[in-house]
Amino acid sequence: MSAYNVMAMSPFIAGAVAVVAIMLGIAVRRSHRASAAATVAAFALMLACIPVAAGVAPRQVTPLVVIDAYALFWLAIIFGAGMATAILARDYLRVRGGQPEEFYLLLLISCIGAGAMVCSRHFASFYLGLEVMTIPLYGMISYICSGKRGVEAGLKYLILAGAASAFLLFGAALIFSEAGTLDFVGMACATVNYSGSLVVLAGLAMVLVGVGFKLSLAPFHLWTPDVYEGAPAPVTAFMATVSKGAVLAALLRYFSTVSPDTFMSLRTAFSLAAAASMIAGNLLALRQTNVKRILACSSIAHAGYVAVAFLALGDIAAHAVAYYFAAYFAATLGAFGVITLLSANGDLREHDAMEDYRGLFHTRPVLAAVLALMLLSLAGVPLTAGFLGKVYVFMAGIRAGLWWQTGVLVFASAVGLVYYLRIIAVMTATPKDGDHACEVLLPAVSSAAKGLLAALTLAVLWMGIYPAPLLRIIEGIHLSAH
Amino acid sequence: MNLLFVISFVCLAAGMVGGGLVFSFLVAPHRPGAIKNTPYECGEQPIGQAWIQFNVGYYLFGLMFLVFDVEAAFLYPWAVAFRQMGTVGLIEAGLFILVLLVGLAYAWKKGVLEWV
Amino acid sequence: MTLTAIILFPLLGGVLAWAAGWKSAASARRIALIAAALQCLLVAALALRLRLAPLAGTASPWLAELRMPWIPQIGASFHLAADGLSMAMLLLTAFLGLVAVLVSEGASGRNGGGLHLCLLSALAAVSGVFLAADLLLFFVFFEAMLVPVYFLIILWGDLREDRFAAALKFFLFTQASGLVMLVAMLVLSFLNARATGQLTLDALELRGVPLAGAVALLLPLGFFLAFAVKLPMVPLHSWQPVTYAAIPASGGIILSGVMAKVGAYGLLRFVLPLFPAASSQLAPWAMVLALAGILYGAFAAFAQTDLRRFIAYSSINHLGFVVLGIFSMNGLGQRGAFALMVAHGCSVAGLFVLAGVMERDGGSRDMARLGGLWAAAPRLGAFALLLIMATLGLPGLANFVGEFLVLLGTFQASPRIAVLAALSTGLSAAYALRFMQRIFFGPRRGAEPAADLSGRQAVAALLLVASLLLLGLFPGTMLQAVNGVLP
Repeated sequence: MSAYNVMAMSPFIAGAVAVVAIMLGIAVRRSHRASAAATVAAFALMLACIPVAAGVAPRQVTPLVVIDAYALFWLAIIFGAGMATAILARDYLRVRGGQPEEFYLLLLISCIGAGAMVCSRHFASFYLGLEVMTIPLYGMISYICSGKRGVEAGLKYLILAGAASAFLLFGAALIFSEAGTLDFVGMACATVNYSGSLVVLAGLAMVLVGVGFKLSLAPFHLWTPDVYEGAPAPVTAFMATVSKGAVLAALLRYFSTVSPDTFMSLRTAFSLAAAASMIAGNLLALRQTNVKRILACSSIAHAGYVAVAFLALGDIAAHAVAYYFAAYFAATLGAFGVITLLSANGDLREHDAMEDYRGLFHTRPVLAAVLALMLLSLAGVPLTAGFLGKVYVFMAGIRAGLWWQTGVLVFASAVGLVYYLRIIAVMTATPKDGDHACEVLLPAVSSAAKGLLAALTLAVLWMGIYPAPLLRIIEGIHLSAH
Repeated sequence: MNLLFVISFVCLAAGMVGGGLVFSFLVAPHRPGAIKNTPYECGEQPIGQAWIQFNVGYYLFGLMFLVFDVEAAFLYPWAVAFRQMGTVGLIEAGLFILVLLVGLAYAWKKGVLEWV
Repeated sequence: MTLTAIILFPLLGGVLAWAAGWKSAASARRIALIAAALQCLLVAALALRLRLAPLAGTASPWLAELRMPWIPQIGASFHLAADGLSMAMLLLTAFLGLVAVLVSEGASGRNGGGLHLCLLSALAAVSGVFLAADLLLFFVFFEAMLVPVYFLIILWGDLREDRFAAALKFFLFTQASGLVMLVAMLVLSFLNARATGQLTLDALELRGVPLAGAVALLLPLGFFLAFAVKLPMVPLHSWQPVTYAAIPASGGIILSGVMAKVGAYGLLRFVLPLFPAASSQLAPWAMVLALAGILYGAFAAFAQTDLRRFIAYSSINHLGFVVLGIFSMNGLGQRGAFALMVAHGCSVAGLFVLAGVMERDGGSRDMARLGGLWAAAPRLGAFALLLIMATLGLPGLANFVGEFLVLLGTFQASPRIAVLAALSTGLSAAYALRFMQRIFFGPRRGAEPAADLSGRQAVAALLLVASLLLLGLFPGTMLQAVNGVLP
């Protein structure tokens, strides 16, 4: 355990120390304000440790973990998303009473787990990270236990995520039985050497089932609308961004060592899952009347889009996926951020029905404009981050010759426009009666949340108008170096 | 070849479970009675319904027990390899126990240890 | 730098108008008007300067250009460039922008500033479209036009129409076809990178990429699809009547007068130079489609009783001529198409001004309920008569020049189509005169608006009439602009 290793792992060490310290703090004296502030500070510290780690990257720490540019990029956006979630959660939990302090512990632990996943180069650390990320999520989803929906969503997620983990483990065990190692590189070599083996194929397929669940790729997407709807809005934001991104990042690292032609059948299966997610997600969203459910369905579709880039494999895919997720993180956090702030209301109700958004442009023009921008970015309209994300995915698809997948992507994006625009249209409609408008006006937005939304808005515009600086960082990422 | 092992394992496992059930169904005498249907409570007569709400304190106690139980399970191998692990090992084990102790302090402060 | 200013200036004016709109709608309108007028002056000054001092002695086909790195990682640069064609289109844009602001409805009511922000940012985006020489930059502006128009329709659209459905249909058609074009652009860039090793999206550098097989046909079709929807050409036109019916008149001026021309501009600027071989291969089919549009538009316009839908179908009729001219693949026809683009921009803007006057204060636009308006509103009647004469292609007015040249060019390419198209001008006369008769002559039916052209509207009408006459009587100046651009 040299000093360099400590430096490389410093973001994690900072996070872990912060968790213990905040827990002690809660034990000494409960203060929601202090917990939230300490959590935001902890995320800031973890982000500040990333340049320190970058100084010694790329570096392999134990056979389990590797800290390289790819991992650090993901750590940065995961911790950024965690910080945003903490700021949103404060406004959301403040009006709801109870004991909100422990929420932040769960959030920090979950982020550390997600971070461990993107740094993993071994199945053990990957699985450990996955569980450390997922288990706090159960608590976070049902954190507001006064309503039925939260508990139901948490239970649903618990059971299904458990089943998915079992698939993942079984798959890894099958690959292990042939490869004799759980190291990603070793496993990848084994998959090449034993490409005719049914056991390895079955193992890989099971790994994909487990991962497909986490990514909510069709046909493993059915839980998504229910859980996203039942979870508190900031938690939904967290799930839609961090828990998806981290899994895909780890999966990409694993598959980037495999030559693309090794498993044609697997590739076909993944292509079909991507296409099915794009189509199913968008078509499901058309029929929803709840904004959170619409965004859940849209996140299914986005998993499909990004899976197309993923199929290109290698550095092209790494760049496309990284940029796409950076854009998607900003827009999704922004959109759920607006939902959160509207729900941070005296009536303790989730403001996620379509009716709650009627006339928002008239009652809360700034929030409505932010939400509209985020939705346009998710739809991939130019001058927003989402547009260049789409361009990147298209380019990856074209370079890898994924013609029909790109075709489905075009079709699905067009369909997706319908429901994003529907929300915007509802927001511009005139409110039905006067008192409803007053009810929406009530929530008081903290200055931290205002600053967050402003930052996300700027990020979405900046990434859409002048993304070259960010792309320089992203193009510096090389996956195949290991 | 390997697949053959897996398949034979699956068959063997299914055979053991299924065989046992079928065998006991065929061989065992079938004399049902009210006493036989009562749940086993260490020889005591059960009182009331089994579907009652347990005090949530049970679960918290259970969790606290589990934490320190598993801690012990982790400390045994460390104790065995104590000399090889050296000072770093000692510090690491110390940190491990410290984190758990912080958790205990937190639980204590939260009132988990107070019964009723 | 001036080129960037042309794009940013209307945007700045829009933001200022929006900010002023929180206090008073009238001041918002005043600011927007000043911005639009200054934009006209800016573009005119640039056009004059470029005509006086073109870049002599360089190989570059551009009169002025600005090139900066933008997203080098995907080969896109911030490349603005102007030649005669784009300058002419910019002038048209700025001029119709001024007309639109002059007759805008935002004088009263809440958020008048927002309306002007939308109008002016649409102008900025269209100006960007006419200046972009990089494919990705072009696409960004091409799609960015949609957003302000979308908000114009859903926020200030006609309450009697299903605004949301119309806006959605408009956005969906354009965005879906636009995505197909985007993929075609990226494939083209990829093929170029594979052939030359240079990653670029510059429209000039992508000329002459070797294409073979299905790609050689699919890529131009991808571009063609997007522009055909924008125009719109006939099988893809179903968004247009509903959109024209729902949009506020000022937005309609920009949508029909300028944005529809973007489709034609795109065909001239990108499809023909990038894919010369495929274009001549596709030309006969495109001409048949154009002819179908001409005939369909004429018949459908004849059958309309709704003023706005009449405008929509008559536009389809005229834009059919534009496409016919472009795909005649000779200089004569393409010059005609260009002249008709400008002329139709002015005449259709006039029709929207007319529609705005009729609908003011909840007036009806159902032709079955209108009649005998001439007596009540003689100024409006005279204005409408001149517009109708331009629409049916009376010599001496701008549209005649364009249609005549298009027919000449088409005759060289395909006499049969030219004859059919020439015969269809009779149909134009029929629907145009019927329109005039129903609204302005005959007995009054009670739904007529009370007032004549107001001050601002009269100014706008005068500007349009003057331009139609000037372009019709002295078409040479306009046609000179594209001398270096078209064959």
